[in-house]
Amino acid sequence: MADPTTSEFVTLVSCDGFEFIIPRSAACISGTIRRMLDPASKFSEALSGRCVLENLTGIVLEKVCEYFMYNEKHKDQANVPDMEIPAELCLELLMAADYLDT
Amino acid sequence: MDNEVPLPPPRRIRHRSPSRLSPAGSVASSFRKSRRLSRFDDRSSQPSSDPALFSSDDIPASGLENYHAPVAGAGRKRRYRGTWWGEQVADPKRKRADFKEKRHVDSGVWMGSDESIAESSLPSEDASNWGEDLLKTVLDPRAPSKVANAPSLVKPSDIASVPVQPRPVVLQGPVETEEHKYAKAVINECLEKGDDSVDLGEIFDLKDLKVLSLRNNKLTRIPEAIRKLTALQVLNVSMNRLHELPWDLLWLLQQGELKHFTAHPNPFPSIDESGPVEWHCQFDKSNDEDKDGEIDEADAPEVTPVPIFSDYEGTPPNDAWTPIHVATGPVTRLDMEGRPLEPNTPFNTPSTSSQPASRAPSLREVSLRAISKLPGIDQLTDLELDEFPALVIPLISLARQARQDGAQHCSICQREFIVPRARWTEWWDCTPHENGMKRPRGSGEMLRPLPFKRVGCSWACVPGGQFVE
Repeated sequence: MADPTTSEFVTLVSCDGFEFIIPRSAACISGTIRRMLDPASKFSEALSGRCVLENLTGIVLEKVCEYFMYNEKHKDQANVPDMEIPAELCLELLMAADYLDT
Repeated sequence: MDNEVPLPPPRRIRHRSPSRLSPAGSVASSFRKSRRLSRFDDRSSQPSSDPALFSSDDIPASGLENYHAPVAGAGRKRRYRGTWWGEQVADPKRKRADFKEKRHVDSGVWMGSDESIAESSLPSEDASNWGEDLLKTVLDPRAPSKVANAPSLVKPSDIASVPVQPRPVVLQGPVETEEHKYAKAVINECLEKGDDSVDLGEIFDLKDLKVLSLRNNKLTRIPEAIRKLTALQVLNVSMNRLHELPWDLLWLLQQGELKHFTAHPNPFPSIDESGPVEWHCQFDKSNDEDKDGEIDEADAPEVTPVPIFSDYEGTPPNDAWTPIHVATGPVTRLDMEGRPLEPNTPFNTPSTSSQPASRAPSLREVSLRAISKLPGIDQLTDLELDEFPALVIPLISLARQARQDGAQHCSICQREFIVPRARWTEWWDCTPHENGMKRPRGSGEMLRPLPFKRVGCSWACVPGGQFVE
């Protein structure tokens, strides 16, 4: 992998150690992650291309990553299908959405 | 027998008020000048009230002389709407002698606005027919009564004097279902508490409702859930405190059954009071000395908006009945929590430019849709809500409201959504619906646009967005 500040993929790490490698453009749908990875910020996340999200569990982060890909896939589409969210996750996802600013 | 008292006209002949019979052109033109200067652009020939209701004895068995005669199940009086002096015989062949036999002098008059009569003489047995009569006379004054399944009618009406709290008169069908009882209880409760707005949510579950009169209440808004009343044919929201109408109402006018819609009087703002707008129809500014000819929408902003609407000279879009889009107000974009963005924030600030307008819902929106489908979310009390993290309380209460009132629909892409992302006002002229589809819009007729509030589910769902309608 080349320079982590410009590489096409970034790594998201949950608090319990799960790692998700997703396209940078998808991850940057989240305002929080976008600011973390902004090369101008000189944050360690920006330098390493690796974001540790301390308050998201692996289960929630998996769903968040699924959402990132869903948004990335449908952002130019006219009829966006609904995304299924399991009932037990929806409150935690709402908190995650608030934290991730998306 | 020639000295006989003039009788009310025969049954099944519906009446119109004399003002409608007068040649519309001359009266309209003589009134036009003065009315144009009036702030309330209200055509007085369209009464806001529900038409009066009369009854008569034209069934032989129900007459005075036949008081003791056996009634063969047809004891109910005929009722019809309109003026008692109204136009006489529509069918010239039908002379008075034809019905002299079956008509007696006694003729009851039933005024719909009189509360005491409403309660005493309208037991639930007849109430459904009352709605039926209203429906068919309002929709088509001459149509014979063929409505098989009478709709129920819910009418919170007021007694004459203004300061008195509106009292509900709820008329229900022959069998009072649980739904009806519930709706009645809701109206009673809301009106007795004196709230400015009635929680109409449960009424909107009555999917077969055809006539709804909310006249003379203190409603400040009509919920979007009115969209659920797809069978609605007559709606009266006059004499309320409405400043705007939900877009879903226009949807009912365009796609639904709604044929007779009374909106005035209400304190609707005029277009020029509402900031810059984009005009959508051509105007003949013949009353403007310095401008003549037609000005299309691109030029319109240069013209000082006049507080009146010039004559619409173009061809109406489909036919002379459909609502016409007159103008569009400015769009307010809302952030992901539904709060308005700072008005001076340009749309493409550096923080948002990497996020072009997208139709994909935000993660907040996606999770709120899931939350609003949770069982029991509508039973959540405010106390329980406080136990949630403070950041998400406003969002969850939005989801709860969406569950209680039914989700809002994006007015561009028709999707259900929880958090609105854009809102704006559009002015549409619905004149033919206001006169009950009795006559089409004439060319050169003054437009009376009504403000409809539209909401979009994403920043792409705005007027002039990438996928308009």
